[in-house]
Amino acid sequence: MAGQTEKPPDPRWAWAAYEPDADRPWNLARAGHLYRRAAFGANWDQLQQALADGPQRTIDMLLQPQGDIAGFNRTYDEYEAATGSVDQLRAWWLRRMIQTPHPLQEKMTLFWHSHFATNAEKVKNARLMQQHVRLLRSQALGSFQVLLEGISQDLAVLIWLGAEASRKAQPNENLARALMETFTLGPDHCTEDDIRDASRAFTGWFVLRNKLRYISREHDENEKQILGRKGNFARDDVTRIILEQPATSRRLVRKLYRWLISETGQPGEALISPLAESFGTDYDVQKLVETMLRSNLFFSAAAYRRRIKSPAEFAIGIVEALEETVSTTQLANDLANLGQNLYNPPTVKGWAGGQHWINSTAIVARQNLASALLRGSGPYGNKLNPWAVAQRHGCATPEDARRFLLDLFLQGSIDPDVYDALPKTARRQDDDLGGRARYLAQAIVTFPEFHLA
Amino acid sequence: MSYTRRDFLKAALGASTMLSLASPAPNILLRAASTGAARRDERDTVLVVVQLSGGNDGLNTVVPYADDEYARNRPTLRLQPKDVHKINSYLGFHPRMEAFSRLYKEGHLSILHGVGYPNSDRSHDVAMRHWHTAKPEDPDCQTGWLGQAADSVWHTNQKDTPAVFVGPIVQPFGLRAEHVIIPSIQSPDDLTIDPAPGESQPRQAVELSRADRDNPLLNHLRDCTAIARANSRRIEAVAGASANKAEYPAFRLAETLHTVARLIRADVGIRIFFTELGGGGIGGFDNHANQLGNHCSLLHHLSESIAAFINDLKRDKALNRVLLMTFSEFGRTVKENGRHGTGHGAAAPVFLAGGKLKSGLVGSHPSLTDLDNGAMKFHTDFRRVYATVLDRWLGFDSRIVLDKQFELLDILNV
Amino acid sequence: MLEVSRPKELIEAFTNDKATAAITALPLYKQQASKPQFNEFLNIISFIETTLGTDWRTGLGKLTGAGITLAVCPEDTVLLIIDAEDDQMLERFHEFFFNIARSEAEKKGKYNIVASKEYDGVTAWTFDGKEAHTIIGKRLVLSNRPEGLKAVLQRRSQAKNESLAANATYQAAKRTVGPDAIANAFVNLKPLIGLPQVAQLFEQQHENPLAALAFAGIFEAARNSNWLALGLHIEDSTLSFRASVDGKTATQTSSAAFALPKKPDEGALPNLTVPRQIAALSLYRDLHQFYAAKDDLFPERTSGLIFFENMMGIFFSGRDLTEEVLAETEPEIRLVMAEQQYDPAIGTTQIKLPAFAVILRLDHPEQFNEVAEEAWQKALGLINFTRGQQALQGLIIDRYVHAGTKYSMAYFSTSGIDSKNNLELRFNIRPALAMPGEYLILSSTDGLARDLINSLNQEMEHKVKPLAGSNSLVEIGTAQLTSILKANRDTLVRGDMVKKGRTQEEAEAGIDMLITVVRLVDRAKLSLGTHEGLTRGRLEIKLNLQ
Repeated sequence: MAGQTEKPPDPRWAWAAYEPDADRPWNLARAGHLYRRAAFGANWDQLQQALADGPQRTIDMLLQPQGDIAGFNRTYDEYEAATGSVDQLRAWWLRRMIQTPHPLQEKMTLFWHSHFATNAEKVKNARLMQQHVRLLRSQALGSFQVLLEGISQDLAVLIWLGAEASRKAQPNENLARALMETFTLGPDHCTEDDIRDASRAFTGWFVLRNKLRYISREHDENEKQILGRKGNFARDDVTRIILEQPATSRRLVRKLYRWLISETGQPGEALISPLAESFGTDYDVQKLVETMLRSNLFFSAAAYRRRIKSPAEFAIGIVEALEETVSTTQLANDLANLGQNLYNPPTVKGWAGGQHWINSTAIVARQNLASALLRGSGPYGNKLNPWAVAQRHGCATPEDARRFLLDLFLQGSIDPDVYDALPKTARRQDDDLGGRARYLAQAIVTFPEFHLA
Repeated sequence: MSYTRRDFLKAALGASTMLSLASPAPNILLRAASTGAARRDERDTVLVVVQLSGGNDGLNTVVPYADDEYARNRPTLRLQPKDVHKINSYLGFHPRMEAFSRLYKEGHLSILHGVGYPNSDRSHDVAMRHWHTAKPEDPDCQTGWLGQAADSVWHTNQKDTPAVFVGPIVQPFGLRAEHVIIPSIQSPDDLTIDPAPGESQPRQAVELSRADRDNPLLNHLRDCTAIARANSRRIEAVAGASANKAEYPAFRLAETLHTVARLIRADVGIRIFFTELGGGGIGGFDNHANQLGNHCSLLHHLSESIAAFINDLKRDKALNRVLLMTFSEFGRTVKENGRHGTGHGAAAPVFLAGGKLKSGLVGSHPSLTDLDNGAMKFHTDFRRVYATVLDRWLGFDSRIVLDKQFELLDILNV
Repeated sequence: MLEVSRPKELIEAFTNDKATAAITALPLYKQQASKPQFNEFLNIISFIETTLGTDWRTGLGKLTGAGITLAVCPEDTVLLIIDAEDDQMLERFHEFFFNIARSEAEKKGKYNIVASKEYDGVTAWTFDGKEAHTIIGKRLVLSNRPEGLKAVLQRRSQAKNESLAANATYQAAKRTVGPDAIANAFVNLKPLIGLPQVAQLFEQQHENPLAALAFAGIFEAARNSNWLALGLHIEDSTLSFRASVDGKTATQTSSAAFALPKKPDEGALPNLTVPRQIAALSLYRDLHQFYAAKDDLFPERTSGLIFFENMMGIFFSGRDLTEEVLAETEPEIRLVMAEQQYDPAIGTTQIKLPAFAVILRLDHPEQFNEVAEEAWQKALGLINFTRGQQALQGLIIDRYVHAGTKYSMAYFSTSGIDSKNNLELRFNIRPALAMPGEYLILSSTDGLARDLINSLNQEMEHKVKPLAGSNSLVEIGTAQLTSILKANRDTLVRGDMVKKGRTQEEAEAGIDMLITVVRLVDRAKLSLGTHEGLTRGRLEIKLNLQ
């Protein structure tokens, strides 16, 4: 199988749409891979449907699902608006991830949440945090330009960055620095002078009693020089200039590459350029995501199992496969212990992801979470029932269930000889099939392979 | 057991390291591996930090009992010369800190006088944030000094957890890291693998698929899983071992330090333990009123707990690997207020406990007459203490963590 | 160990016409009744009725009429002993189930599961290989483990009077809860206290001052006791549970002495009543003595405690909290919780919290009134100052006179708000301080303060007498509780959805079920005290079966 060790792939082939053939058939492994990346995992029916529909049609359905998505989101927005605490917001978002008819939208919202990382601890206001995430969701598969403009005015972001006040005499650099160094260009493509002049363009904007106010006498009307452009720039001009830089679209494409394609190794310039150029013209996130998902590269070995699941993906993957909803207030706390406290990314750089999710204690925490979810009693109750799911899909014997669960969770990523190594009986009574299935399910989801997306 | 954790790691990683070097690994991996050089050497010394929340009154902890100014400024809070545990002719420990007095005589306790920083803040949130970030000039700093230390030594082959918070409160900001995940635990059980559903013991490891030499993520996961299992078993063994006969008093801090001692003994690669006394937030040491009764309770808890911890480690011959450090967000005013309490101050003493301390008293006791707005003035910047601990004790690079090189203190025997 | 000595009365209470009508009216019952399995269940019942030759109520009465006893023993062994009035009916009953068990076993292909064995003159049976039972005359003895049954039979063969019933301690315990109880439970406390969960509960008390204050004496008594006896009495629609432990209550020198009435005629005062009352609590707690013993009661110096002391030091201008503030209070403390009424002109909140108030009795009201008022105004000032620092709205202070008492209250103004029917949580709080006569009322709303002034004025007209010997009294009017649950139904449903992962329908069903169950209870009353040196408790639940 081609890997990083061979020469880099030809960009035209890499981004062309994947068509199944004898060498790279459309099988369970690829269907599972698609669902792990474009959603939080899949249940058996979804996998079977995907096999029947073929890759491109499945991607169509993931990009534009049927059903009343706007209605669903509206209902959940109302639920969220009625709570007063960030803890409850976390619980509602996790529930939304589990139940949404449009998982790709939630996955991308999570991506933007880590990108435009804003920590509720400093914001201290659940309503503002809710509005912030609503903004992310509204443009999750929309326009990056609209998103960036929204972020530069978002109250939660301004409070978090300490940018509540920017006066003519004392321009506040926090917003400009975050925008340019972290959210778009990166520290290598902007200088301190650029940041300083961009801060002057942002003067006059204040957050007062949780409202955004513009005080014109505090705005610096002099000329500014930002990234090679000169003029009396104001806030919206700065975002426009940033978006005109090719560095912006390149950096975002790389970030999305890491989120959707692979976390091992940096893609070469040649591979990124075609996408970066196209993205730079219209900043259409949906088009970019679509290109990546449909591509040959996405379905090749270079992308297969080349990502580590974030805690949310790990847990929700288990829950989705077993076709139930669990206590998300409990789950929100448990995911925080695994290092992903929703609404509370540690710094403005978001969650680092990749190998940072995994160290010896994080593995212990993941295994213990899996045990808690599958135990059948305790804080998660007995909502997740692997044997019942297996029976629903035609299994009658323990042997059937074993094969079924392996396929359901791992979609064929395990060597055949491991099949046999799995514990067949574990001192269980013969008729406690439910218990055996739970034990087996926990064994499967603690394989290293299951942690790979 | 002569086969230490480090030997095991070398054996376990040896195989995978060879594999990854044999194949023409991409540059990024090699570069990442060599960034581990933020670590100066391969030690396994341990730092235990004890946060005293609320602003500890140093003047009544290490008491200048013979000083007239002390008596004059503290009519009701004054501690009598006959009650204190004398250190020398000028200073003595609070009457309920007999345990500290013993530790001091044994050479396992150091007192650093007059620790603070210029233009120190006197409000709880801000001052504590300064001590946590070690960057008073940067109010928007988003990481803590220990979190940053953990970040600085992270490398792609890192499988251990470098730091842990032990306690029930929200994890203190000092451990906030950019990308390393630092867990909060309350007992050693939080780091052991629970039994699988329906079982009473954790499952035996199943032999897994062959290592995929092209997928570094899979190898990393496999290694971490193996290490996690081994650590879990070791922690359980330590918890059950009969060598666990150490006597700890029935205080919460003592229980916390007992957990720390067990984890040190289990040798699972944790270098930094953070604990807390006073309950976080505004904190139990914030005695604006009725200080005598409450403060002496806390000091008694503190000294008994730490003494039990030190004795436990000594019994296990592990004391030379451990350094314990206390800190508080500020000291208190010299003069008592009208409510038998004291106000927020500035400089305060820092206590160090361990097996490799150089001297008992470090620095002179601050003057009781030359005050800064009612509080004693500092002479030792706390970041020098941090730098010493990072460079000399942990073998990290303090310049990366603190953004500049602070002059080190000669307080350790290393 | 649980003994039902008069099962028929119990059965009668729960199956008489009123009760049956109430149960069948429950939505849950209707839901179950509509399922096909329910009809199957009814068919089985009528089949049994035919076999036994009687209707199910009489049959149940005859089968269990002489008593039911359930015992929980070490090693997870449970023993169930049923004394029938009619041994022939018992035989027929047993045979019926024997046949069913055998045919079930044959269907599964496991022939040996249903078996019997002779043991010392009686036949022991098992229906599924796990449980074991035997019939001795009119008595059915059933255990969930064969070892349990063996133990019973062994004792029987060794001594004719094998039962615990002959044990003197047990008899004494039974007497304390009333010889005419319908059912008794007897719990051996020593092993129970050894359990880790229970030990944790004790720990909580050690660390939490409020827990130490509220549960004073109970833990001491439990720790010193060997047994706990519980008796159940039924009168009309009132269930009454009486409990007592044999441990000596705290003496005047123990650390829990602050909850002991000093003189025999002292005790907690009767509860106050106000309109829309949800619950009322009356305690006898000597706060001065309590706080003076804090080093023994709760040695952990948590930040909460220190903060509390700091604030008290500020509010009371440096007076010593134990000697100069708490010493001014008398031990009779009362708390009241009532549903709030919202004035639409001011506004209604989205989440409707109840109002709650504390009523203390003062030793020297003339001197202490001003001290209290000053402390109160300082507290409000501090709150306003802190909120101002965070750019949040503050409270406005006002003073009024009601029924001869001047009181002060503080409120958040709603004049700048357009939509007045979805206000934030904080608008539930309108703190008030009133001091009628020798009492001090600290209330979360001015409305409740006014109601309490009325109530206290009435009480003062007729000199109130304390309830001798009692140190804690809780009364809950669940009709009002139902009302407040209903008012907050949406919030509760949403909370349930995320907390348990349920769908909206499931959560609604759950909350509605809770409301229905709560509505079944008209009022509940729990009182704790000492009587003849023993700690006694009494719980009365009046059911609402209409």
